[in-house]
Amino acid sequence: MTKVQITIDGQKIAAEAGSTVLEAAREAGLDIPTLCHHPALSNWGACRICLVEIERQRALQTACTFPVTEGMVVHTESEKVVAARKFVLQLLFSERNHYCMYCQMSGDCELQSLAYRYGLTEWPYPRPVEPLAVDATRQYFVMDHNRCILCRRCVRACAELVANHTLGVRERGIHSMITADLNVPMGESSCIQCGTCLQVCPTGALMDLKSAYRGRETQVERTRSTCVGCSIGCGIELVSRANHLVRIEGDWDAEVNKGLLCVVGRFEPLFDDRQRVTQPLVRRRGLLEPCEWDEALGLVAEKLSGDSLAALITTRATNETMTQFGRLFRSLGAEMAAVGSLAPAPGAEGRLTDLAEADVILVVGADLKKDHQVAGAFVRRAVDRGARLALVADADNGLASYATWHVGFDQMDSLVGMAAQASRPVVVCAADLPAEAEAALAPLAGKASFLGLSRGSNSRGAVAAGLPLSRGGEASARVLYILAEDDRLHIPRNGAGFVVAQASYVGPLTDMADVVLPAPIWAEQSGHVTNTEGRVQSVQAALTPPENVWPTVKVLKTLAGRLNLAL
Amino acid sequence: MTKIKVATDWLEACAGCHMSFLDIDDRILELLKHVELHSTPITDLKHPPEEGVDVGILTGAVGNTHQLEVARRMRERCKILIAMGDCATFGGICTMLNFFDKEEALRRGYVETESTVEGRIPRSEEIARPLEKVLAVDEVVPVDVHLPGCPPSADAIWFVLTELLAGRMPVLAGDNLKYD
Ligand code: SF4
Ligand code: SF4
Ligand code: SF4
Ligand code: SF4
Ligand code: FES
Repeated sequence: MTKVQITIDGQKIAAEAGSTVLEAAREAGLDIPTLCHHPALSNWGACRICLVEIERQRALQTACTFPVTEGMVVHTESEKVVAARKFVLQLLFSERNHYCMYCQMSGDCELQSLAYRYGLTEWPYPRPVEPLAVDATRQYFVMDHNRCILCRRCVRACAELVANHTLGVRERGIHSMITADLNVPMGESSCIQCGTCLQVCPTGALMDLKSAYRGRETQVERTRSTCVGCSIGCGIELVSRANHLVRIEGDWDAEVNKGLLCVVGRFEPLFDDRQRVTQPLVRRRGLLEPCEWDEALGLVAEKLSGDSLAALITTRATNETMTQFGRLFRSLGAEMAAVGSLAPAPGAEGRLTDLAEADVILVVGADLKKDHQVAGAFVRRAVDRGARLALVADADNGLASYATWHVGFDQMDSLVGMAAQASRPVVVCAADLPAEAEAALAPLAGKASFLGLSRGSNSRGAVAAGLPLSRGGEASARVLYILAEDDRLHIPRNGAGFVVAQASYVGPLTDMADVVLPAPIWAEQSGHVTNTEGRVQSVQAALTPPENVWPTVKVLKTLAGRLNLAL
Repeated sequence: MTKIKVATDWLEACAGCHMSFLDIDDRILELLKHVELHSTPITDLKHPPEEGVDVGILTGAVGNTHQLEVARRMRERCKILIAMGDCATFGGICTMLNFFDKEEALRRGYVETESTVEGRIPRSEEIARPLEKVLAVDEVVPVDVHLPGCPPSADAIWFVLTELLAGRMPVLAGDNLKYD
């Protein structure tokens, strides 16, 4: 990398040629304030808060967009600069409703913290009096235009990161408003509620319904973990307070998703309103009644020894749980299965990052708007960049409008042939493809990189632990043990005489069980999961389970002990 | 040494700022060594003396004709005017009213409240009339020191007063500058 010599606030800096003044300053540990700038987004130069004085430039320049040049001399906090920044802040505060005392973002707001930094104690310009609309038409978060500073971070996040292009700006000047599609309510727009815009918004304009007013940054804890919503395994940060989940954010540093999440990973866990199982239960005279662990485990151990036994496990479980489950039920001679499946990969296994390099992407059987949604964002980004999408899927596929070609399975061969001609083809396959489709992919072996999207978050972990995969309906035995944790499994009884459910929530499984063992939810246990690319990633407990809920592995080990199995 | 005369008053406010002022606790004894606390809404004397005071403190926004009068009178009778709290400095929570239709708000307040039976909007000539818009103090009279906060902390209030006693114009920063 070529370097240029520049001076910022008297400090000599060797900055990378082509970088901006802001990047050079931050690299050297100097702090230039920003609002519209975000490290994951393109530079925009919309807010003017990063203005700096550059010698021999006539006007103040925006550090976030101005490139460094040899010999440049920059002043970041000169009198002129500070006056300009105060002016910018005063304008922002006069434009819309920034009465902080009733704003949910107060304390964490980037605009507010800059106003503090520059000592804004009065508003010399007229206060806003026109109320703007609040758009609460989406299920999980609200847009309050009154707090918006039009920094366009949300617009760029939606376009550049999610490649969904829902957001834009309508009108001009003081009438400018963030808008969805052709000015429809957000809830009726093309928005997929991934919440990326929410995560990048520097103010209280985008408001998370669950986390609003529930704790400021100084009051919450953050735990880095992995989403188990699907087999992509996105890196997340769990934001919690007093043992309650407040919010889930995408981890910008995670290799898999680089900050992106989908609605399943970001919002759904916070809206899970199923009733927890908080203690062991046994069925007596048809009714589940609370009992002690000792009694429940005694009863289960008795049933596990001797009778014909089937054991099923959720693929939301960690590798550690899978291993322990495998050991226990293997030595009991049980018919075992994990409820999930792998996608075919008739050639070299690829990585999600391959999508960024692909020229043709062949998606077979997957609807990336419904499942594995972050992979969907990567595919859309590739299309934006010029890659062509070949879709083998039903007519109503969520990515249909991005596809250059879209055919059913019966005409799949033509697209396979076309992909074989591409220079960097990537095949994205769903699990459970018809056998003919799998066979049709054979010509691409050795040519394309294959990204299989396994069903079930940790199906690969299950396979690594030696557990066969299944749909979950096939097992039939006299005793059925279902380790479901928080998964919404649908397992038929298939005539089993005795059913044990190790479950976090009351539901169809506990309704059918004879013994229910309470289980922690995903956010309450640590361990590892293996994503669809084969990456082993860490899951960290952010919450403590209810008092009488034992870790899953402890239950399995205790059962092994009761059965005198040395595992 | 002659003591510095201070008077305070409240406009459209919740009294929280004055409570925060009292929160300076035993430091008030130290303050009273240097300061003669004249009229305040929480003492017997309600109006600043005609001969004037050195420092006037107003909390609350200006929402009606009476508050306008109080603000103007305080300005006339003090040398340094402090706007204390978000309502006085920016308009604060009282300005929520500005985002509604005034008649609708009056109806909601006097007629449609759940506990009201046969309510009426008071419109006597003898009582104050609401202004078109709720205003911050500096939209009505010049203000010398702005001390935001909802309410400002006792420490911030103490800081402002002690700076003034030391003959300096207070510059708020760090924990002394908060909008909530
Ligand atoms: S968005 Fe920020 S500056 Fe505006 S009211 Fe909320 S906390 Fe204050
Ligand atoms: S909603 Fe937030 S991110 Fe979008 S322009 Fe407004 S302030 Fe910026
Ligand atoms: S939630 Fe996602 S798709 Fe919807 S507007 Fe925000 S970034 Fe775009
Ligand atoms: S794509 Fe999968 S792993 Fe990523 S956030 Fe969505 S559900 Fe979670
Ligand atoms: S951060 Fe540079 S213009 Fe907004």
